[in-house]
Amino acid sequence: MRWRPVAVTLVLVALLAAAGAGLTRSAAGAGQDDPVRSVAADLRCPACQGESVADSRSPIAAAMRQAVADQAAQGRSRDEIRRWFVQRYGPDVLADPPARGVELLLWAVPALTLLAAGYAARRTLRARPRRSGELPTAPPAAGPAPGGAARWAWRWSALGLIAVVVSVAVAARGLDRPRSDPTPADPVAVAVGLARDLEAQDRYDAAAQMYREALRDRPDDTIRLRLAFALLRAGDAAGAAQAATETLAHAPELPDGLLVLGLAQRRTRPTEAPRTLRRFLTVAPEHPAAPEIRRLLATRP
Amino acid sequence: MIRPAGRRPRRVPVWPALVLAVTVAVGVVVALGLRSGPTPPGSDAGTTGPPVPAPALSGPTLDGGRFDLADAHGHVLLVNVFASWCGPCRDELPLLVDAGRRWSPQGLRLVGLNVRDGSEAVRALLDETGAAGLTVLPDPDGTRAVDWGVRGVPETFVVDRDGRIVDRQRGVITRQWLEQRVAPLLAG
Repeated sequence: MRWRPVAVTLVLVALLAAAGAGLTRSAAGAGQDDPVRSVAADLRCPACQGESVADSRSPIAAAMRQAVADQAAQGRSRDEIRRWFVQRYGPDVLADPPARGVELLLWAVPALTLLAAGYAARRTLRARPRRSGELPTAPPAAGPAPGGAARWAWRWSALGLIAVVVSVAVAARGLDRPRSDPTPADPVAVAVGLARDLEAQDRYDAAAQMYREALRDRPDDTIRLRLAFALLRAGDAAGAAQAATETLAHAPELPDGLLVLGLAQRRTRPTEAPRTLRRFLTVAPEHPAAPEIRRLLATRP
Repeated sequence: MIRPAGRRPRRVPVWPALVLAVTVAVGVVVALGLRSGPTPPGSDAGTTGPPVPAPALSGPTLDGGRFDLADAHGHVLLVNVFASWCGPCRDELPLLVDAGRRWSPQGLRLVGLNVRDGSEAVRALLDETGAAGLTVLPDPDGTRAVDWGVRGVPETFVVDRDGRIVDRQRGVITRQWLEQRVAPLLAG
C-alpha cells in the first residue's frame, strides 16, 4: 500500500503546479513590458462598469491613460501615479482597493471553508481502525466499515474537484488573451460616416469639411466624389468642379464624376457644361440621373 | 437523557455546530453590511465634501486669449466640463450661459473645459447653443479634466471666491441646482 502516499503527493504537486502556472499566466496578462498599460490596468474606469482604464474606450479612460503616460514619462513611480489618482478619484479608482472590514470576509470565508473541509476529510479518511483497541475512540468495525460511504463521498468529491480544476485549466488555454493593442476605429470611416449624417441633415458645408479631413488621411476617389457632390450642394461650384476633375484624372469615364463636373460647369463654365453632360449620357445612358440631364440639355441647348 | 447501557455516550457534534454558528454569524454580518447600503465615496451625483483647493487651470483659450484660474480669485467660478460629442452638454449650455449673464454683476464667472474635442466642432456647438461668448479652455487630451477628477461629461464644478471647490455636479445641471448651490455663494 505504498502507492497511496505517492499518488497523493503526485496529485498535490500537479495541483500546485497548475495553480502556479495559472498565477503566472494571469500576472503576465497585465503587460509588464508596458508600464503605462500595467498601471492603467489596475485603475478602474470611473465612467464605466467593471472596466479598467486600460481596456475602456470611454473618452475619460483615454484621458486617464494619457495622464498615466504623461506621469510615467516624467519619471514618476507606479505608486506615485496611483496615489495621484486616489487623491482625485478616491480609493475606488484602484481596481484592487485595500481590503477592509466586511471585504476581508471575502478572502477569509473561502480560506476557512477550505481548511474546514480539509480537516473534515482528514478525520473521515484517517479514522480507520486497523485493530480494535488501537483506536479506542472509533467504534469497532462490524460488517461493512461504518463511515465507508462517507469516505467514498470524500474521495469522489476530491476527484470531482480535481476534474473541475483540470478542465478549467484546459479550457483556459483555449481562451484568447485580450489583445494588447485593440485596433482603433478607422478615423476615415468615422469621418465619412459623420459626413453622411451631416448630408442627411442638409448641412453640406460641414459635410464637405468632414470629407476633406477624411481625404487628408486617405486620398480615395470615392470620398473625393462625395466631397464634390457635397460642395455642389453647398453651392461651391468651383470646388466641386475641381474635386470632380481630380477624380476624373484617375478614372476619365466615371459617370458620377462626369455628372458632378457637368453640373458644376453649368455655373463656372457654362460653355463646357453641355459637352461634359453629353459625355456623361454616352457613358451611362441608364444612370438614374440621365433623364433629368437629358431634360436639362433639351431645355438649354 | 437516558442512554442505553453498554453504548458509548453519544458525542456532541462540536464541529458541525461550530461551523453552523460561524456561518450564521457571517451571514448576519454580511446581511447587516448590505442593509446599511453600499456607499462608495463620490458615487452620488452631487458631492458636497469638504472644500478643497481647486487644481491649477490656465492656458490659451479657444478665441486666442488666456485664462488663469488664479485671475478669477474673488469671483465665484463655474467650471463646466463639456464636449461637442456629448449630447447632454448641448442641452445645458444655454442654461449656463443664461446664468452667467444674469449673475455676472454679482461676481459669477464661467469657463468651459472642452475635453477631447476639435476646435471646429466646439465652435459649431457654441454657435448653435448661443454660447459663442463663453470662455473655453481646450483640453485636447483630457488630462486637465483628469487632474480635476472628472468622471464623465458633463460635469460642473463650483469654485468659491477663495479658489476652493465647494460643489460639483456630475451630469447635467438644472436651474434648481443653480439656484440652490450657486446663488447662495453670490449673495454672501
